[in-house]
Amino acid sequence: MTQEIAIADGRRGAVMNDNQNMTEPDAAWGAPFAKRAWAELRYALVTLPLSVVAVAFIVPMLYAGPLWAASAEGVWKFGAASRFLARKLLGEDVPAPPRPRSLVRYKVRTTDGARLAALVEEAGGKARVWEGKPGVTVKRLPPSRVAELAAEANVAIDEIRPGNSVINWMDGRMTNPVIWRARAYFGLKLPLAAAGLIVAAGCWLGGLYYLTAPAWWSLGLHGTLGFRITTLGIAFCLCPLGAALLFSGPGLLHGVTNVDCWLIRGLLGPSSPAERIRALEESRAIAVDDAAARLRGIERDLHDGAQAQLVALSMKLGLAREKLQDDERVDLARVTGLVEDAHRGILEAIVDLRTLARGIHPPVLDQGLADALVTLTTRSAIPVELVTDIPERPSDAIETMAYFSAAELLTNVAKHSGARHATLEAVHVPGLLRVRITDDGQGGARLVPGGGLCGLADRVRAVDGRVEIDSPRGGPTTVTVELPSHA
Amino acid sequence: MRIVIAEDAAVIRAGLAEILTERGHEIVAAVGDAEALKDAVAARQPDVAIVDVRMPPSHTDEGLRAAIAIRRAHPGVGILVFSQYIETRYAADLLAMRSGGVGYLLKDRVANVAEFTDAITRIAGGGTALDPEVVSGLLNASRHASALSTLTAREHDVLALMAEGRSNIAIADRIAVSERAVEKHISNIFTKLGLPPSDSDHRRVLAVLAYLGT
Repeated sequence: MTQEIAIADGRRGAVMNDNQNMTEPDAAWGAPFAKRAWAELRYALVTLPLSVVAVAFIVPMLYAGPLWAASAEGVWKFGAASRFLARKLLGEDVPAPPRPRSLVRYKVRTTDGARLAALVEEAGGKARVWEGKPGVTVKRLPPSRVAELAAEANVAIDEIRPGNSVINWMDGRMTNPVIWRARAYFGLKLPLAAAGLIVAAGCWLGGLYYLTAPAWWSLGLHGTLGFRITTLGIAFCLCPLGAALLFSGPGLLHGVTNVDCWLIRGLLGPSSPAERIRALEESRAIAVDDAAARLRGIERDLHDGAQAQLVALSMKLGLAREKLQDDERVDLARVTGLVEDAHRGILEAIVDLRTLARGIHPPVLDQGLADALVTLTTRSAIPVELVTDIPERPSDAIETMAYFSAAELLTNVAKHSGARHATLEAVHVPGLLRVRITDDGQGGARLVPGGGLCGLADRVRAVDGRVEIDSPRGGPTTVTVELPSHA
Repeated sequence: MRIVIAEDAAVIRAGLAEILTERGHEIVAAVGDAEALKDAVAARQPDVAIVDVRMPPSHTDEGLRAAIAIRRAHPGVGILVFSQYIETRYAADLLAMRSGGVGYLLKDRVANVAEFTDAITRIAGGGTALDPEVVSGLLNASRHASALSTLTAREHDVLALMAEGRSNIAIADRIAVSERAVEKHISNIFTKLGLPPSDSDHRRVLAVLAYLGT
């Protein structure tokens, strides 16, 4: 298990590094007006008020336990805002840790409480045997699994009922490590943000002031800022100091920003193995449910489609055969009509089956994702420009997922966006397959719980990928799906 | 006969209506879901209702549940449940009603138009029509396996055909023996299984089904 986690985390690291390479080509020292320096300056100025507000929110809420629980969601959101700013402004992509949730805790009434408790603990859950009454309280193991364990060991369970929902709610939030680490982050971020402000003000404003000291002197301003400019000579001596400050600014700020990024990765990301396991369990559950739902969908399509058509066909042909066996008079026109109907029905059934088969696995995908996407885009309802750069093939599972993501997104574009044109890009760089669809439609696409995009995002997350949506009202919409090369 | 059809696939609904009209039956209503079926049966009082098991909204067994409800509310209406799969549990649910005028057939059986319309006639007359698959499922799942194993192969065939709801003449026709021989086989079967003798086709079938279902 530990090994698996290490591999999974390493993969996530690979995806992240690649992102950084893209967005920060060069953070050289002494380039006060370089793009990266501006980005870091912007970041320092934006996050200062955020951390002030966050600390102002967090500190009073430390007063009592129930307040810890009540503020958990808010703290999580401040953390999310910090991750968002780090990603938007610095390209530092830190995946979100699991949101605070109510702890699933329930009461199991059974005569053999001690035995069941031992089984639960053995399976990785927590169990507390009741005092005075026969039963156990169970945490961290789904009820279905407990029932399974009990059935295997022949322990009779009389009743399973959920624990008090208020206590479950508190339990999941009060001591949630994700939230406490986020609080620690803001505790450290506030002085760091102050340092950032000092560097920004000192190096940029101070640097500019000293650099232009002769001008101030000539205007008759003998200002202070450390040195009293009494002669033009001193003013000129301050020029190099100003230049030095200006050029050292980006480096110092970069240092502060690096510390911040390091803190974000350590305190605002999903770092502990336990959390990683929880995230993996969640994504595994999604993957399993998704597979079951897909099979159910295929069964439904077959039942309502080809199967129904074939039954209808057998009726037509059965009737036709009966007409032909009529000894007295064969109604040729009627028989011909029936056979024609049957023939038409067969063609429809063939088309139906073909569509369904392709929906299960497009055969052309065996030739590679690029070829499969060509077919996909030519079948699209609106014109799609295709750009592919896939020098090396990702694993089968990833290719399949990329294909179906692209298919689903293109269907969305054709159905909902009102776009007249779309671009589909599929680029594979070592470790990362990126599929991006841009359309010129009306925009406004969002992740709605239970919606199609959300389902897609869940499936992608199950293989450690991610989906990003950029869709302002009025358009254009860009949806990016990033998948690790191997799942 | 006056018939109500409940089937959500339009192609099959149309096909059934075509076949039955051709045979001189009257389709008094053709509906696509269980609620509409119950309303149609209450309003039109047909001789037989043909009911698909899987219908909207949940596409599981609403047809079957509607069929059982109809049997309770309108015992005189014959019910043919038909579906693309045979589920032994559904058959057991239907047979648990312990009454005639029911049938459970695979949709494929419609292809043999004569047999299909024959089954409907039987159901309308208070008889039964069970798919051979239902019968073999019941025979396999029966807890009386040891008693069944004492039957000869020929007796086994006769039992299966009887369970499908066929009359002595039809059985004789099917296995190409005289009606007299069929009667003899049946009396042997009843003796071996310890069932009370009965002369009516229909009561005999019910006895056999009750035996297989328990």
